[in-house]
Amino acid sequence: MTEAPKPLPDAARLHAGPALVREVLLVLIAGGLFALAANFLSPRGLSLRRDYFPSAVAIGSSNRVVTAAVSPSNTSSNAAPDPVVARLRSKGLQAVDVGQMEAWFRDPRYLQGLIVFVDARTDFLYQVGHIPGAHPFDHYHPGARLGEVMMVANGAELVALYCTGGDCEDSEFAALMLNQAGIPAERLFIYVGGITEWTERKLPVEVGMRGGVSKGGGP
Amino acid sequence: MKGEAEAGAGALGGGNVVVLLRWVLGGLFLFMGLSKAFHPVEFLKQVRAYDLLHDSLALNVVAAGLPWFEAFCGLLLVLGVAVRGTAIVAILMLVPFTLAVLQRAMGLHAAGGQPFCAIKFDCGCGAGEVLICWKLLENALLTGGAVLIAVWRRHRFGLWVG
Repeated sequence: MTEAPKPLPDAARLHAGPALVREVLLVLIAGGLFALAANFLSPRGLSLRRDYFPSAVAIGSSNRVVTAAVSPSNTSSNAAPDPVVARLRSKGLQAVDVGQMEAWFRDPRYLQGLIVFVDARTDFLYQVGHIPGAHPFDHYHPGARLGEVMMVANGAELVALYCTGGDCEDSEFAALMLNQAGIPAERLFIYVGGITEWTERKLPVEVGMRGGVSKGGGP
Repeated sequence: MKGEAEAGAGALGGGNVVVLLRWVLGGLFLFMGLSKAFHPVEFLKQVRAYDLLHDSLALNVVAAGLPWFEAFCGLLLVLGVAVRGTAIVAILMLVPFTLAVLQRAMGLHAAGGQPFCAIKFDCGCGAGEVLICWKLLENALLTGGAVLIAVWRRHRFGLWVG
């Protein structure tokens, strides 16, 4: 026959409260230390002191408002301001559309390295497909890529960054990071349509690492 | 004698239910925590989307630390270490998070006009996009389970139940 569990003696009940509080504090402290250590040791860990979402350009900020380069097909003098373009302007960045991007892509200066495209998505997405000749740059994990991109960007007349398009802000933060590293804002452009629009327009796409297999006509 | 046996059996049954609840809650916390911990940039963007933290240090500490902390608590529950204290910490995490999800859903409902239970977004829980009504119900059940674990005095099958 199983006995019912005996209730705690009054003395034990009195000490249960503070003991439980100590247990909660122990879990909080141990868990906090574990979390900080795990983030520090993880190769994908975040830098606690870094501002991953800077608000505006720091170097070479121009007071001149640069209007987005629009193709004749979507020009309208009564068009409402695009919120993405407005957001870019508030950060001191310049927006370009697919017409301008394609013109730069076909410009001889692209092959000469005087026009540089930067893909601001993760390495995985970059390898799935990117604009041929674009340099990969995941600004959340810049590593050695920052040096490589800075080297090509310093020698370029202009740098156009893109990510997925739509609500994606990664290209903007990547541009701000390059700006903070020394690239003037006047040379930085954001392709707001992103790789999504580029592929929808059946424009050339490269798979794998830079210089890999191309689909569609090259520059 | 018969009442004591029934009470004993009830206590044993109740104890088994609490152990099962502990393992389920702990397993969920462990899984969800690790799935976020292995993708910290995505979680950082999701935390930012709540627009509650504007200081970069606070944002980074929460995004970097919370997933690992959640997984740590899950492990404690699964192993049966400091069970009641961990359950209370779980409640301290679940309640403000649920309120934040509710606040964001209400904001989207007010802005978009769509039915509240049709609102769907990635709440940063580690399960991708979810229907918010289901998420709120799930969190309410998890919180209830954590409360039961916290108030249950005689835990079993643990390394150090406290």
